[in-house]
Amino acid sequence: MKNVVKRLAYSFFTIILAVTAIFFVIRMAPGDPVSRILGPEASLEEVFLYRQQLGLDLPLYKQYITYFLNLSKGDLGSSLYKKKDVFSLIKARMIPTFTLALLSIFISCILGTFLGALAAFYKSKTYDNVSRTISLLALSFPIFSLAPILVYIFAIKLKLVPVSEWGEIRHAILPVVTLVIPLSSIILRVARNKYLEESSAPWITVLKAKGMSEFGVFLRLVKVCLPSILNVVAIQLSIVLAGAMISETIFDIPGMGSLLFEGIQNRDYPIVQGVIIYSTIIYMCVYFLIDYLNSLIDPRIEF
Amino acid sequence: MKKINTEISLGIIIIAFLVFWSIGWELYGRFVMGSFLSPYTPASNIQKELIPPGSGDYLLGTDIYGRSVLEILSIGLSYSLSMALLVSFSAVSIGIIVGYLSVVGHKWVRVVSDLSTNLIFIFPRILIAIMIMSVTGQSFAGLLFALVITSWPGYAKIARGETMRVMGLAYVESAKAVGMSDMRLFFTVVLPSILPLLLVHFVMGISGVIISEATLGFLGLGGSEYSWGTMLSMAKNVLLEAPYLVIILSLSMVLPIMGLNLLGDGLRDYLDPHSSKE
Repeated sequence: MKNVVKRLAYSFFTIILAVTAIFFVIRMAPGDPVSRILGPEASLEEVFLYRQQLGLDLPLYKQYITYFLNLSKGDLGSSLYKKKDVFSLIKARMIPTFTLALLSIFISCILGTFLGALAAFYKSKTYDNVSRTISLLALSFPIFSLAPILVYIFAIKLKLVPVSEWGEIRHAILPVVTLVIPLSSIILRVARNKYLEESSAPWITVLKAKGMSEFGVFLRLVKVCLPSILNVVAIQLSIVLAGAMISETIFDIPGMGSLLFEGIQNRDYPIVQGVIIYSTIIYMCVYFLIDYLNSLIDPRIEF
Repeated sequence: MKKINTEISLGIIIIAFLVFWSIGWELYGRFVMGSFLSPYTPASNIQKELIPPGSGDYLLGTDIYGRSVLEILSIGLSYSLSMALLVSFSAVSIGIIVGYLSVVGHKWVRVVSDLSTNLIFIFPRILIAIMIMSVTGQSFAGLLFALVITSWPGYAKIARGETMRVMGLAYVESAKAVGMSDMRLFFTVVLPSILPLLLVHFVMGISGVIISEATLGFLGLGGSEYSWGTMLSMAKNVLLEAPYLVIILSLSMVLPIMGLNLLGDGLRDYLDPHSSKE
């Protein structure tokens, strides 16, 4: 329990540091959002008034304090262009991104663990070599180069799935597949190595000598391998989140990714800031959760 | 001496081919005007847009601006290879220095370097790069900065761990007791033991930088129009009219990444003392 509190405090501290860093980096940047919004024709007075309205004329430390006070109330500020609360914008766009990310993580874990165990079982046989080669090849495709090829093959040539729509479950097939292919390959490789390492351990011999069935031994092995697989997921999580955002822009899905890139294109700093802070917080929460799960699965792992 | 495995040799062949191709292309483009594979300078004839590969003078066809695909690919190759090498070398140097200082430095140096490493490490990499690029605007220096900032903490973590291990060894302790300076210790003891460890990560890191750079380009945040990502996002828009563009660009982008991954993977097996020959 004491450790949980310590970890929570640590995570909280990191998030505050992260927010601070983002705040100052954005404000260090050259260029003024106000003159961008009002355009080059705006008079000095207009610019000045608008700055005052947005609170940009205050000294930096005061801006920082107000920003933090607002943030503690869950208020991320409002978009410079859309005149809308950033939080409500993010909330509306959150579901597609999470559907994509969670679905692909879930599928990849099952697929990767199973195929990895199979590869370890058939070590140095044809299946193992083929799966190693394919997984290495799959890892070499960046998401944004995999996605158009998949769209071309499955949506345009074979007409199995729609090109870019959102709303039904079958619209999520291609985006999820693009995310599953690299993620499951990584998990496959880790699972294979971990499985090989453990399958020659003495405790496996003992279980077999006691007369446990092959399947029972297999289940025990999978359980032992789970923490390393979850750790890989934790490390890959930022890539999955970013990947979900990238595949959103390719498949025209109204998620956090497309929000972020609209924000970047319009130089809408509050939105960019908000999305990045939000995904960092989620990232840290999941990281926390995975560490906790690992300590539940394997009591030797300290939490 | 272990036998060099197939992965290493395959990776080296692919990378050597690409490096020679890009150097050769640079030399050829600079010193021999035009080229015999595609005798057209980029954007010279707008009318000839979207010619499929294999037809006439264009070996790999043309893109929407009427540029020869082979030509923009080759320019993109040398751009992304040199970028990735530059970024990785800077990142590895910063990482080693910070990692070393976070062990042997003054108390405050240690705190600051540890904190900055961890702070950058917890962020999703590509998001930091996106943030920096959206702030600095699309410039070569900004891109370089964004990529280096996101790459060095990984190296620093490894360098720190290895420095900690080495500094605790008996012979290092005695060297310190005799009065060997920190600088000399760094070059004679710490560096030689860090470098082989970092080699695998360095190779994998280069392919990571290539992917990050292309991702930024794909999202419209690249530093050059010859970034492969920028080209691919252009090709994606004409997927229906010219599917060959996407396929050629994607496959050629995979080549260096795969070569580096193969090399890294093979090196890991090769350097790992636990993996006896299979």
